[in-house]
Amino acid sequence: MKAIHYINQFFGQIGGEEAAGHEPEIREGQVGAAMALQAALGSGVDVTHTIICGDNFMGSNTEEAIRRILSFLEGKEFDIFFAGPAFRAGRYGVACGHICDAVQKKFGVPVLTSMNEENPGVEMYRSKMVIFRGGASAAAMKKDVAAMTGYGLRLIKGEKLLPAAREGYFGRGVRDQVWLDPPVNATDRVIDMLFKKLRGEPFQTELPIPKTDRVPIAPAIPPEELAKMNVALLTSGGIVPFGNPDRIQSASATRWGKYDITGIDDLKKGEYMTTHAGYDPAAANNDPDVVLPLDALRAYEKEGKIGGIHQYFYATVGTGTTQAEAARMAGEIVEELKSAGVRAAILTST
Amino acid sequence: MTKVIENAGITIVQMANLLPVAKTVGVNRLVPTISIPYPLGDPATPPDVQFNLRHHRVGVALDALTTDIDEPKVFKVSI
Amino acid sequence: MKLTLANFHVKDIIFGDKTQLKDGVLTVNEKEALAVVLEDSHITQAELHVVRPGDEVRMVPVKEAIEPRYRAGGGPVFPGVTGEMLQAGNGVTHALKDMSVLVVGKHAGGFQDGLIDMSGEGAKYTYYSQLKHLVLVADTDEDFERREQQKKNRALRWAGMRLAEYLGSCTKDLTPDDTDVYQLDPITKRSAAVNGLPSVVLVLQPQSQMEELGYNDLNYGWDTNRMLPTLMHPNEVLDGAMISGSFMPCSSKWSTYDFQNFPMIRRLYAEHGKTLNFLGVIMSNLNVALEQKERAALFVAQIAKTLGADSAIVAEEGYGNPDADFTACLVALEDAGVKTVGLTNECTGRDGASQPLVSMNEKSDAIVSTGNVSTLIELPPMKTVLGELASLGRDGLSGGWEGDEKLGPSVRPDGSIIMENNAMFCGDQVVGWSTKTMVEF
Repeated sequence: MKAIHYINQFFGQIGGEEAAGHEPEIREGQVGAAMALQAALGSGVDVTHTIICGDNFMGSNTEEAIRRILSFLEGKEFDIFFAGPAFRAGRYGVACGHICDAVQKKFGVPVLTSMNEENPGVEMYRSKMVIFRGGASAAAMKKDVAAMTGYGLRLIKGEKLLPAAREGYFGRGVRDQVWLDPPVNATDRVIDMLFKKLRGEPFQTELPIPKTDRVPIAPAIPPEELAKMNVALLTSGGIVPFGNPDRIQSASATRWGKYDITGIDDLKKGEYMTTHAGYDPAAANNDPDVVLPLDALRAYEKEGKIGGIHQYFYATVGTGTTQAEAARMAGEIVEELKSAGVRAAILTST
Repeated sequence: MTKVIENAGITIVQMANLLPVAKTVGVNRLVPTISIPYPLGDPATPPDVQFNLRHHRVGVALDALTTDIDEPKVFKVSI
Repeated sequence: MKLTLANFHVKDIIFGDKTQLKDGVLTVNEKEALAVVLEDSHITQAELHVVRPGDEVRMVPVKEAIEPRYRAGGGPVFPGVTGEMLQAGNGVTHALKDMSVLVVGKHAGGFQDGLIDMSGEGAKYTYYSQLKHLVLVADTDEDFERREQQKKNRALRWAGMRLAEYLGSCTKDLTPDDTDVYQLDPITKRSAAVNGLPSVVLVLQPQSQMEELGYNDLNYGWDTNRMLPTLMHPNEVLDGAMISGSFMPCSSKWSTYDFQNFPMIRRLYAEHGKTLNFLGVIMSNLNVALEQKERAALFVAQIAKTLGADSAIVAEEGYGNPDADFTACLVALEDAGVKTVGLTNECTGRDGASQPLVSMNEKSDAIVSTGNVSTLIELPPMKTVLGELASLGRDGLSGGWEGDEKLGPSVRPDGSIIMENNAMFCGDQVVGWSTKTMVEF
């Protein structure tokens, strides 16, 4: 097995702050910190190359630095990519995040890095890659390298990997089911948590409540402008033309549809339907307007409250759809809306 | 979905029954609907009653688009 | 109320001349048993199979699991459903243990149906791989729902209950191997010692999503969509008052067997009088409209408060919009000063990166989690399939699909499958068996 290691100018033994503008280079074999990595990996994995790049070069010429490094890697065989450890060095941590992200996207190989919890690279990249919880300074080099390589070796050998907290990396926000070993029934876990809560002792919930992620509130549209503009209709309630021509899935959707409603004032039974499996479809199939209120919006068009209705409506199904898929589909729909100049929208959900 | 669209600068209002769900995901302009399977028209009522309800709530949604807000808001409906 | 469950442990099931239990072997007269199934003229085809743990058998679409029982002195095992109305939870009920009656569709499956593998990698995903089963594989003439994704499965589910009663009745004159006694004194008549213990209520949220009757869990035959939260004796749940519905994605579902054996209730009984004062069960529901959810949460909190409950455990049969009921109930109880622990599964998506519950609140700070409904599961072909493997992909099972751009079809030509945990029969075991939890990676 083969590995390639990314390090900065300091750990690549080029120099300190004065060398932070050092342009990216690739060297065969191990330089500086890469020797520690090789030692920890042992004989089963060869660190074939070391990439060295100055933190300032990466910071101020990010795209160029990534482009050059990716071109170094072109055609090279490697099973895993390491960067850092970056400890508390902010620019170095962010650089490790940038390059790991680019490498895993382009080559599809596993990437691993390590940073201290105060490194800004952690918050920027923890959801995208495994970042080990590292020490504050290079004094922790041996320990931090050991953590990354121990996990990396098991990863490339396809061995069992433990949850983030057990392995010692920053959780990526990815939750999955595991069987407790040794097994503990849910009933015992409930009783244990209940007693702790009753006694006022600390306890650990199995489902920590994440903070709500908010977006900036879009500005209000003056009524006189609304009276001249097209409003778009969208739904996650699965309203589609009868027969579901785009085969939008009834749950865990990965597809969305856009349907021309030019000249249509009312969504009629037998012409439109719902494909959503998460609710009783009878009412929506009988009168799709109860989910997608085209008839009411047409009335406001006639009244002059809105200028018109965007030519298409957009539909998908909300049930079980991953946030990543929902965000991708929404992004694609946004492109459509923006290119049509749409600035106002109504989304109905079920 | 609503968040991504709003983040692109498009003013959007979501019409939903499960307000706690919409609030949890961070929707800013919200208009309540009457249920999940029939958000905008109870099939147990005559078609004109259903249309009036739908017309009213869509009107509230349009007014929501024209209203400046500082924090997430659920707009009140009267029918 | 005092319920004695008289346990008859079944070591094996065989077909033979006379339906009887002898030395732990349940012999089934196949012809007689099928006649019980065919009492309903809507059943058009029926066959019986015996399946044991370790068998190379895959079953799909599985619709229901029921523990065979006999109510001493006669009377329906499921009051208000298979017979007249009577009080469940008091007296003696015989139970054939370590086995179930499984109901499998011969052809047609639906959103709510699931899959069971009796051996191999797939066996760990469902509790039912550990039990012996008399499996009814049958078809019906319920053509109105043959092509519907949502099926009431009425004829098949009721046939399963009749079969369970038929098998249970062979223990009529027999002495059980052992007994479990479930007894709670009336709440106001408990000893000072018991009253001195922290009190707890168990809040159950059985599925009641469908407005149309016939799909939801039933409480003494009454559709749970049409009820408001009410106080029940835990023995009623253990003794046939509740039967499973036919709606929820399968891994989240509680089968009738789950209700009859409810591990969380049994666990609370084990603590009762020692460390806790188990007040009872508040039976709530999971209706669809927000107003109904808010009303139910209000009733639950009020009942808990009126009872003077110090603590509560809340379990939901489902995910998606039912999460709003679950969270609302936890919040209402916490606001009423009741220390609460939740019990649920999650839907974090195939990539695991989605929000675990669709509605969340920081007041629900103590939750036990039993699985991710959308985890992808890939399983090799199985020697024998009971039912119809194609139904997993074709019939809209919540964890199957016909085709997927990246994953291909759920059912492959060689008989191997790829599915979401969603379609594992009662796989997330929110009733309490689950040894799964959710962790961050």
